[in-house]
Amino acid sequence: MSLKQACASGGDGCRPFPPTGSTNRGKALLLLASVPLLLGVSLLLGPSGLGLPDTSTSIGQAILSLRFGRFFMGLLVGAALSSSGTVFQAILRNPLAEPYVLGVSGGAGLGAALSILVGGSMLGAIGLPATSFAFAVITLMAVYGIASQGGASPSVYSLILSGVIVSAICSSFIMFLVSTADIAGMHTVVWWMLGNLQPGSASEQVVSLLIISGAIGALWRLVPALNVLTLGREMAHYQGLNARAVTLSSLLLATLLAATAVSMGGMIGFVGLIVPHVMRALFGPDHRWLVPASAIGGGAFLVLCDAIARSLMAPIEIPVGVVTALCGGPFFLIILRKKMSHAWIA
Amino acid sequence: MNLSMNAPALAFRSVTAGYKSRPVLDGVDFTIAEGEFVSIIGPNGSGKSTLLRTATGLIRPTRGSVGLFGREISSLKPRERASLIGVVPQKLESPMAFTVAEIVMIGRSGPRGRWGIPDSRDHDSAERAMIYTNVLDLKDRLFNELSAGEQQRAALAMALAQEPRIIMLDESIAHLDINHSQEVLRILMKLNREEKITVLLVSHDLNLAAQIADRLLMVDAGKLVSNGSPGEVMQEELLSRVYGCELRVRKDPYGGHPVVTGTLDAILRRATSRQCLHVIGGGGSGIELFRRLLIEGFQVTSGVLNRLDSDAEAARALDIPCVLEQPFSAIGADSFEAARLMVAGADGLVVGPVPFGPGNVVNLELAAEALKAGKPVWMAADIARRDYTLDHAAARMAEQLKSGGAVEWRGIQELMALLQHDVINRQA
Repeated sequence: MSLKQACASGGDGCRPFPPTGSTNRGKALLLLASVPLLLGVSLLLGPSGLGLPDTSTSIGQAILSLRFGRFFMGLLVGAALSSSGTVFQAILRNPLAEPYVLGVSGGAGLGAALSILVGGSMLGAIGLPATSFAFAVITLMAVYGIASQGGASPSVYSLILSGVIVSAICSSFIMFLVSTADIAGMHTVVWWMLGNLQPGSASEQVVSLLIISGAIGALWRLVPALNVLTLGREMAHYQGLNARAVTLSSLLLATLLAATAVSMGGMIGFVGLIVPHVMRALFGPDHRWLVPASAIGGGAFLVLCDAIARSLMAPIEIPVGVVTALCGGPFFLIILRKKMSHAWIA
Repeated sequence: MNLSMNAPALAFRSVTAGYKSRPVLDGVDFTIAEGEFVSIIGPNGSGKSTLLRTATGLIRPTRGSVGLFGREISSLKPRERASLIGVVPQKLESPMAFTVAEIVMIGRSGPRGRWGIPDSRDHDSAERAMIYTNVLDLKDRLFNELSAGEQQRAALAMALAQEPRIIMLDESIAHLDINHSQEVLRILMKLNREEKITVLLVSHDLNLAAQIADRLLMVDAGKLVSNGSPGEVMQEELLSRVYGCELRVRKDPYGGHPVVTGTLDAILRRATSRQCLHVIGGGGSGIELFRRLLIEGFQVTSGVLNRLDSDAEAARALDIPCVLEQPFSAIGADSFEAARLMVAGADGLVVGPVPFGPGNVVNLELAAEALKAGKPVWMAADIARRDYTLDHAAARMAEQLKSGGAVEWRGIQELMALLQHDVINRQA
């Protein structure tokens, strides 16, 4: 049967594009199914092994809601970091791009530290994420400004170089703040910096949920444009995209996500860099799949790491940032080695 | 969209454009009609790419305006613009592992809806583009794993999927291997002739541009210096001035389009030997001889040849002193006398594998003269087979020459060996 006949007979077989879609659907379902599974594990897992706390007592109820809070925080922070990394990698067309490398996390961290120590709490639940975001945006602008010395739009290399520089400056500021803080403040900030998913107040959680889900939703609307932007800004222009507007809005959204994640869970590295790569290896580079998959995958990964962090050496809790790197590293290396050709060819 | 059918596909109206600190284009003025195949040529850094970027609306002119199918390009929405112009970049770089089909589908992102879910029209269009550019077989391959030529065809398919009315290519062909560049050019010609798509090809390859384009626009230092058919634009003097080196233009023997070459042979000619050889050629038999003898370092003269004969053209191109007769005429007494003088000044004589007829058989007399003067003569063998005189005059002449000491040669290698031997002995 010739190609024309195949098309005329209406078979889907003549479509040149079905394969990625149908196989991705299965993988996406598996990924989604992991979320309730992890919820179950998180609720059951405690310092004394598996087991549901006695919900008839108020302590038991408190423990259960704490465990749920940890699950919820992990999901949100992981999703935010990971989708933020996905977007940075697409816009900057660089496999190394992620909130940390670009200094965005550093800026957000500085904002959060200031807010914790100097007291941004007067602004209420929105205070911490707002300060983080403001600082993250300032950092990003500074990074972009330094990188674009000379007028033209900055190269990826200059962006990353200036990101590293600005990031270093931010962490010196944080260290300065920590060293001058009182004992209690120092403890809070250091513990927060190591990465920790201790849930904040209910209103803080609601605000974070709204910001993160809103930003990911908005990003999802930009995914066709992100696909085009991976070919470079000039090509995006030729494809009828307002490249400047799309770049700017997705950079802002990614920054907002990273800043909110940092304000919630501190400096948790690794998620924003590696999860997008693994998801790209699994789902291919089409951002229509990649953005939601990264969000879910990042959330699930962080929940898992947190479950390990609080149960492995119980009752001592390992900072979750340590676990993400220690556990995730080898696992991801295996996947990347196997499927790198489907993830990123640089 | 309200686009006039008669408006030019692209109109530059005294456009001055460039980058922040550096204006590149200076008062450029031209129009391209719909359906034309136009190539922009010029040396590196002359503003070709800037011109393309201005034509696609990537750079706004600081003065003047750019019209696209009767509309101001600055007034077009990005999507409208993408539905009119498809651009094939110098090299499409996809850092991520997109398949060819996905890359081509990106060409549909403009017409597609906000959510980017392709419908059957998008699929059809992408598929048609892939068939046209012969990449349908590659659709599931990763773009980054293709050869340069395949990538270029896929990039072209992506631009075609936009269903544009004008396609602009930025030097994207010349660096390909010849088989790949020919295939891309064939596709472009087909698009232009069959689909009536206007093509604007920025090229640094003059010969390629002259071969394929209806019209050439030559840019130099940001100014349009020439605008016309390949024959009009490809003038030796103009090209040599614009490119700042000595260039020659001749006509391609098959296509008739102008062909530019450098003058490296002039350097080769300044070689060692002061020995001068006179070549009897004609009908194309002398071209290879001229070239090889020049490379070996001989001075070369030739004649008598008819004007417009390909050997005469070659001799002119190679600056070989040459006695010429009118086209298609028998060799007259005056020109024979001139050739005789020329042979008298030569150190030897080479007879090429020329067919002889009543008009040029007299050239063999030159060889006899040379022998008489004690000069060596090398004669291509088997003259009898190329003898078209009625009375076998050429064959008879050849026999006499042979008995007089002329050496026969078969093939240019043998001739070179004979020359080496003889000339070197003589010099010693």
